[in-house]
Amino acid sequence: MLSPYRVLDLTNERGMLCGQILADLGADVLKVEPPGGSLARRVPPFFGDQPDPERSLFWWAYNRNKRSITLDLESDRGRELFHQLVSRADFLIESEDPGILARRALGYPDLSALNTGLIYVSITPFGQTGPKAHYAASDITLVASSGVLHQTGDEDRAPIRLSLPQSFLHASADAAVGALIALHERLRSRRGQHVDVSAQQSTSIATQSGILAAAIGSPGWQRLAGGIKLGPLEVRSVWKVRDGYVALTVLFGQGLGPFTARLMKYLFEEGACTVEMRDRDWIGYGELLLSGREPVASFEELNRVIAGFLATRSKHELLRASVERNLLIAPIATCDEVSASPQLAARDYWSEVEHPELRRTFRYPGPFARFSASAISYRRRPPLVGEHNHDIYVEDLHVPADELSQLQRERIV
Amino acid sequence: MESRPALQDLKICDLMWVIAGPAATRMLADYGATVVRIESPTRMDTARTAGPYHGNKPEAESSAVWNNYNAGKLGITLDLSIPKARDVVLDLVRWADVVTDSFVPGAMQSWRLDYESLREVKPDLIMLSTCLMGQTGPLASFAGYGNLAAAITGFYSLCGWPDRPPAGPFGAYTDYISPRFIAVAILAALEYKRRTGRGQYIDLSQAESALHFLAPALLDWSANERVWGQVGNHDAEHAPHGVYPTADDDRWVAIACRDDHQWHRLCALMARPDLVGDNRFRSSDDRQRNRAELDALISDWTRQRNRHEIEEVLQAQGIPASAVQDSEDCIRDRQLLHRGHFVELSHTTLRKTTVESSRLHLSRTQARVDRAAPTLGEHSHYVLETVLGYDEERISELAMAGALG
Repeated sequence: MLSPYRVLDLTNERGMLCGQILADLGADVLKVEPPGGSLARRVPPFFGDQPDPERSLFWWAYNRNKRSITLDLESDRGRELFHQLVSRADFLIESEDPGILARRALGYPDLSALNTGLIYVSITPFGQTGPKAHYAASDITLVASSGVLHQTGDEDRAPIRLSLPQSFLHASADAAVGALIALHERLRSRRGQHVDVSAQQSTSIATQSGILAAAIGSPGWQRLAGGIKLGPLEVRSVWKVRDGYVALTVLFGQGLGPFTARLMKYLFEEGACTVEMRDRDWIGYGELLLSGREPVASFEELNRVIAGFLATRSKHELLRASVERNLLIAPIATCDEVSASPQLAARDYWSEVEHPELRRTFRYPGPFARFSASAISYRRRPPLVGEHNHDIYVEDLHVPADELSQLQRERIV
Repeated sequence: MESRPALQDLKICDLMWVIAGPAATRMLADYGATVVRIESPTRMDTARTAGPYHGNKPEAESSAVWNNYNAGKLGITLDLSIPKARDVVLDLVRWADVVTDSFVPGAMQSWRLDYESLREVKPDLIMLSTCLMGQTGPLASFAGYGNLAAAITGFYSLCGWPDRPPAGPFGAYTDYISPRFIAVAILAALEYKRRTGRGQYIDLSQAESALHFLAPALLDWSANERVWGQVGNHDAEHAPHGVYPTADDDRWVAIACRDDHQWHRLCALMARPDLVGDNRFRSSDDRQRNRAELDALISDWTRQRNRHEIEEVLQAQGIPASAVQDSEDCIRDRQLLHRGHFVELSHTTLRKTTVESSRLHLSRTQARVDRAAPTLGEHSHYVLETVLGYDEERISELAMAGALG
């Protein structure tokens, strides 16, 4: 879909997903790495637990379908070559702290002067400007600043983050949308622009609008492991079952009440609740609770009945019931279980990507969407450091082969 | 500054509901796309029944979830069980560049509004369907919300304390990931059509797109047969790394030292220069090993102080730190205010509402967030008359037939 377009991907470990989304969509994405390779190649975990720039699984996860060249942007000749690349590129993506590239004369104003059509995408913790733009940042501090951390975790302990860093993934995925909005506009104006993405803002989507509570006179969410507190009610979402845990939301009202009604019918048929409990008005029940006409003890009793039933069932049978009866139950799966999912297998989701130098294939998450006319394909495994130097410098930029060798000796390439 | 919005020419007939789909078309509406949201007059969008609510009152027009993800769209109510309503949808399909839906697979077929049926009306149609698990496979009909997809795709198993049941991320987590993939897929399909003239059908599974946010853990299983579990706020690379208590009840601060220098500066701030030479905390590995003692020492210091004060003092020394901000903190956050993150809009029934602005800043064609989300059926007449060019007689016929609810 994006095969006519070239992307220069300068991102460090913070921004690599953005270029990968464009690469999956067919763009020619060049990862521009410093000689010796990107520092993101040092991020664990590693294949065989051997720290090596060609074995970082984190690197692999976000560089599929890209090509790699190395270039020392600190050197004059390096910048000269880079300018040649910029003059024929459509996108540049970077994730340095604000001002870092500008100091090397590689900021948006510098490069748009070379190529007015360039779409320059910056992914940073807090955006390019503002009182916190130069704050030191780490995933956990960004999740804290976004309002998400406050809502997450067990109520009697510290708030908790997802242990696989998410904030820059949110930002990088947003950045890909921004890049394509700018591309759409460029078709009309023939001009590029600067897309400036803040991980703090991008992560805030995971508050599910909770960030707005104080602005609209609402108390907002209190954390409750996997659930929510609604006034006096503690609405759980994680439940123990015979062989692990499931997620299940028991709520009321027009939207979710019908699911609870079907759940109670299921419990009744399995001999786990009374006919009176089955036949309650589960749509109106929530309002009765919140207005105090129904005691909180009644909700607690409901939770006890459901918990008692679930404890006797397996994840598998509860998922089956959930599909057959249109309930809101899903097993809490670990990554090995996800990998073995019959649903993902039936859809042929996983891509076995060959790494010939390691003489084996690895199972990658498959295309993020299925396009009927222009399917996403995994054309290239993540590139080795500088794997495509010859293709780009000699064949594309017509640097003589002996000059390339010289540049390599000087560690410019 | 460009006066014309970036996506001014883009028209979307939007049959998506709840969170993931509407959050995607909201991104496009921010940049000028005309999005006509079709709502059922009888089955209320679950987003309207989700808090937080204005003034804490649960009403159909007062939900922040609804108002936040539908700002800038036009709203029409159509009862799809009535044949005349289907004709209106077909006219909107003819008008639109893109049709989207997020129903359980099969629902669009039951109204004869599936891709094959709509292609008869518009051969070069771009249509995107998104649902929890995808249009095919044994779990295709598994209907539900993003919390279930987050459970079944592994997110819950990576969020929790080692000695407790999984805590899980807050809410419908995969609903916050997939909007970007939906928006990107639409824009890429438009580009493909521009060059080839071909439309297409896009099947976007919320679970399958969200798994890209877990890719390193999934590769670790494939490569090393390692299963990631619950590790609290522990980080594989850095220590100290965590969320620490502060002087106020249930108020916290997040701190992460990414190298030895930052740790040494933290020791100086805590007036504990002795810790720099302490063998328990000398290297990052030492600090990892003696994490419990390390966290206790830091907590003793943070507990005496305010969360914002700690953030400022540590940031002045270049140490990553942030108050764990709740909504009150966020709406006063100087950086979010600088970025214009909160936008006040006038609203038909609430008088005014506050929504989030675009998360993106484009230098030349900025987002315009200037119209509140539609109240139920707010633009029905406008859409029929102005977008579709129906005359009054035809509009009253539709109303008489109950097509508009």
